[in-house]
Amino acid sequence: MTRIIQGTPVKEIVETLRQSKGYYITNTARDLSQSDFKNRILLHTDLMAGEKRDQAGYFSLEITGGASIHVDILRKQVDPFLKLKKLRESMPQTMFQTLCRGVNLFGYRPYPQNVIRFTVREFAKYVDVWRTFDFLNYVPNMHAVFEEVGKAGKLNEPCLCFSTGPEHTNGYYVEKAGELIEVTGKDITLCIKNHGGLGTPRRIGELVDALKQKYPEVPLHYHGHNTDGNDVGRIVEAVKNGASIIDGADFAFTGYYGPPPILTVVQTLKEYGFQAEGLDEDAVIETSEVIRDQRKYYEQFESQIKGFQPTVQIHKLPGGAMGSSLEQAAKGGFLDRMPEILHKELPRVQKELGNYWSVTPGSQILWTTAVSNVLDGERYGHPSGDLRNLLLGKYGPFPFYRPEEWIYEKVLGDDWRTMLEEEGGVEEIADIDLAHERYSLAEQIGIEPTDEQLILYLQHPNDAVEFFKFEEKYGQAYVLPPSVFFRKGGFEIGENLAFRDHHGKEHMVEIGPSPINDTGETSVYLIVDHHQSIFNFKPKKVMGQAGEFADLGKEEILDLAKAGDVRSPFSGKIVEISVAEGQEVIAGDRVAIMEAMKMQTPILSEIEGIVTGIHAKKGDALRPGGRILKIDPNE
Amino acid sequence: MKILVANRGEIAIRLIRAIQELGYEAVAVYETPDEMSRHIRIADEAILLGDGPRCDYLNIEKMIRAAKKSDACAIHPGYGFLAENPFFAKACVAAGIVFIGPTTEVIANLGNKVIARKIMAEAGIPMVPGTQNLKQGKEGIADALAFAAEYGYPIMLKATSGGGGRGIRRIETDAQMREQIPVARAEALAAFNDDSVYLEKVIINPKHVEVQILADSQGKTVHLGTRDCSIQRRNQKLIEIAPSMIKNQPLLDEICQTAVRAAKAANYLNAGTVEFLIDQEYKYYFMEINTRVQVEHTVTEMITGIDIVRNQINIAFGKPLSFSQEDVQIRGHAIEVRINAEDPKNDFMPEGGKKVSVYRSTGGFGVRLDGFVYQGYIIPEVYDSLLVKLTVHGFTWEETVGRLRRCLKNFAIRGPKTTIPFYENIAREKDFVNGDFDTSYIETHPHIFFYDDDSSEVGKLAGLIAEIHYAKENPFAG
Repeated sequence: MTRIIQGTPVKEIVETLRQSKGYYITNTARDLSQSDFKNRILLHTDLMAGEKRDQAGYFSLEITGGASIHVDILRKQVDPFLKLKKLRESMPQTMFQTLCRGVNLFGYRPYPQNVIRFTVREFAKYVDVWRTFDFLNYVPNMHAVFEEVGKAGKLNEPCLCFSTGPEHTNGYYVEKAGELIEVTGKDITLCIKNHGGLGTPRRIGELVDALKQKYPEVPLHYHGHNTDGNDVGRIVEAVKNGASIIDGADFAFTGYYGPPPILTVVQTLKEYGFQAEGLDEDAVIETSEVIRDQRKYYEQFESQIKGFQPTVQIHKLPGGAMGSSLEQAAKGGFLDRMPEILHKELPRVQKELGNYWSVTPGSQILWTTAVSNVLDGERYGHPSGDLRNLLLGKYGPFPFYRPEEWIYEKVLGDDWRTMLEEEGGVEEIADIDLAHERYSLAEQIGIEPTDEQLILYLQHPNDAVEFFKFEEKYGQAYVLPPSVFFRKGGFEIGENLAFRDHHGKEHMVEIGPSPINDTGETSVYLIVDHHQSIFNFKPKKVMGQAGEFADLGKEEILDLAKAGDVRSPFSGKIVEISVAEGQEVIAGDRVAIMEAMKMQTPILSEIEGIVTGIHAKKGDALRPGGRILKIDPNE
Repeated sequence: MKILVANRGEIAIRLIRAIQELGYEAVAVYETPDEMSRHIRIADEAILLGDGPRCDYLNIEKMIRAAKKSDACAIHPGYGFLAENPFFAKACVAAGIVFIGPTTEVIANLGNKVIARKIMAEAGIPMVPGTQNLKQGKEGIADALAFAAEYGYPIMLKATSGGGGRGIRRIETDAQMREQIPVARAEALAAFNDDSVYLEKVIINPKHVEVQILADSQGKTVHLGTRDCSIQRRNQKLIEIAPSMIKNQPLLDEICQTAVRAAKAANYLNAGTVEFLIDQEYKYYFMEINTRVQVEHTVTEMITGIDIVRNQINIAFGKPLSFSQEDVQIRGHAIEVRINAEDPKNDFMPEGGKKVSVYRSTGGFGVRLDGFVYQGYIIPEVYDSLLVKLTVHGFTWEETVGRLRRCLKNFAIRGPKTTIPFYENIAREKDFVNGDFDTSYIETHPHIFFYDDDSSEVGKLAGLIAEIHYAKENPFAG
């Protein structure tokens, strides 16, 4: 039983894998979170699990990458770098693994080379295993990442994206593996990325066998999803045929579209005579015991449709996109059209567009196209920009065949041939001026950004700036448990929230009453560490809703006044309306007098014109923006 | 009868209270940026002077017009703004309005440092060695160098019309003296419209002790004991104490007697403060007489029980003081801290423009608050940063310091950064607790600047919890 410890040189890792008789396990916590909980599992929960997971002896913990970087800053308000640093504190032994979309990094479109290299360099300080893929299996799209990972002394795990269909033969994949190995060398782990959990156990077994026959010295890592409920079967066949590493997740949180439970895999493979290398089975069980109670707080993020989806073999959506697709359908009100979209249109589009791999960002293109084909009633009538780019070859060449000409014509227009000739093909994206970007970020956040901040900004400019502002205002919110962070409906009066802050200090916050005062503001009273704090909230502005009144701002009032619509500039009483209807006024004329807090203020006309309507009378109490009278401007 | 309060902020409220307690009506004035200020609400009447900022509070004509308009028969100028402007006092008299303060002549004489020194020298008041106004050009510089040769450096170069810490610079060498005199003149001309400057020997690390004086129009002059205002930053007072902690009662008595003599020499009328410096050998020197009610008058009121502002008004209306020197009893100790919206860690940078999101003041036995802000108040950027003066009174020094610590701890102001945590550190600091401090205190105790910021991590997180509670879901978790 040889455990591989974080910090082991790449050559030694790969050699250990080559020598081992059993198999290793990657805990794909990130993929589980993305596939079954819309990426919302908080660092708080991962930190709770940290000690036991570290003890469990996994090959690696897949905990960053994919869509998680974006969701970390957008919805979980945690710095993806800080997340890795905190996890490392509680997990000193386990290698951390990421999922990188090659030239698309952690996003949906290709990035400039210097951004890719800078990003990989910074993340490689904390990430030991780099699983890198391209949705067209186009190897040049992954070059820069491979190189930077190699330079950082970390383990490259290039992927063969896997799918099914007549083109997806062992011959194709073995040849593709050769292309990859030519670039990366053999000191890697090669991943079969079965992002939809496609194919039968037998199919996976045959593929692993074919690859092992050709490249016996390259350790294989089988990655699957349990969407159809049969990934344990595929894992068993993969291991039987020579895979060195497989993926699973903690059973307390396993759902439908992510990886299967690690424990089930371990128990099953034991029967077949395969041992999980380095694994502490008790720690696997204990991890789930520690975090089991947290699952209920994430229920709101679980899929709208419960149960396994064996039809994934037809529509081929990746596990990571199942939840979000169903959510989109529910929100968009087209859940009832899903059978048509998933079982008829999606397979059709897939075939028409070259039977490439349904994985980010290619899966989004297939999905969006199928949805709009069905909902618009006109196939390819409203192509997305990304579909146009796909046809233009911006992402890379089609792996097997090109779509038929009518699709090109429909998507790109009549002069598609010229377009293809002039604009087609993978474009070299020009490097951007990093110094300028740094400067522009500094301007926005008011301090000199760190390299890590700059990287987050380069990935998601607006969301990163919002996140930095959040951090400045609310501190390190990852310390809050999901029961607080994701609370719906507010807290109970008297409820005590205990947590330890980023600096390790224990705090207690007790919820007090939240009265609404005369100005309409709500005051939230909290007892923070035995001291009362009050937080005031302005009433939410709801325009046009009965009973709701939206106060106008000073500038809006002035703008209206300049158009002859005289409004109350503050909360106060009308003391006098100084003009009559039909009266002519010039700018500066007093039209009314208002009183507030014992002070009388004249309301002056901003324009020259005729008073055409009087809406208020003496004694009326007005809010800011309340109507007083109307003046028709002289032309 | 109405009295117009020609000031803003906490002092306006202090004056209004005294006016109303005497049974008069108080007329407040304000500039537009002050329209949220509480002094307007507390007054019986309020008059908008103009959009300001600061210029209307300084506009003699507008102030007189406001008094006329409201039918006020007297004006109290408070401190700052027009308080020590002899032209304002003169304009009041000319308009038939009672000016609550000394006569125009007294203000003018004592406002001119050189004339003031002359009066005091003639009366035999001990003075810091210094010069008359320096002559223009080379001659003045030559005289300055001669003075330096006699008394030695460091020497203070002061603008004759300066005050409140402005127009002062410290000179260490002959070269600096030659270079700085013309610079100081140019600056004084720009700031005070008077380019006269003079020299004074620097007393190294003195204590700043001052004596509160009340003088009525019948010729009775009494003192209300001493105050120590040594804890200053760049000549701006931060903490004031009454009485002085010098453990030499005969010396303090002598200083008080000297103050009364000085006031009489100046034909002083109404409330004033005679300021002294005390060197390390406990020799004392006259510095100046302030012809106004001072920010720190509260500590004297606490230890004597005498309402200084009430007496100011009575004196101005020609009434005699109702008590004699023998009636003035000093009881216990008082400390005032000026709670400012400033960031001590950032060179006391003002925090104007911020909203006071939480304002929870303190109270209880021996506690006095003179403030004007409230929860929801937006601090105007255009005025000074004083939010509230906290004054505590106790029977013993130890009790008083303990009360100060307790009050600061329970005083919660959120929104702007304030000087509260800074004062909390001082209230715990050993030398302060022992009553041992002089004007070098702030610079020789740099550790008082180390404290956890008001915007603590838990405070920020509590803000997020409040958001989640208010919105009924986390608005940042989408």
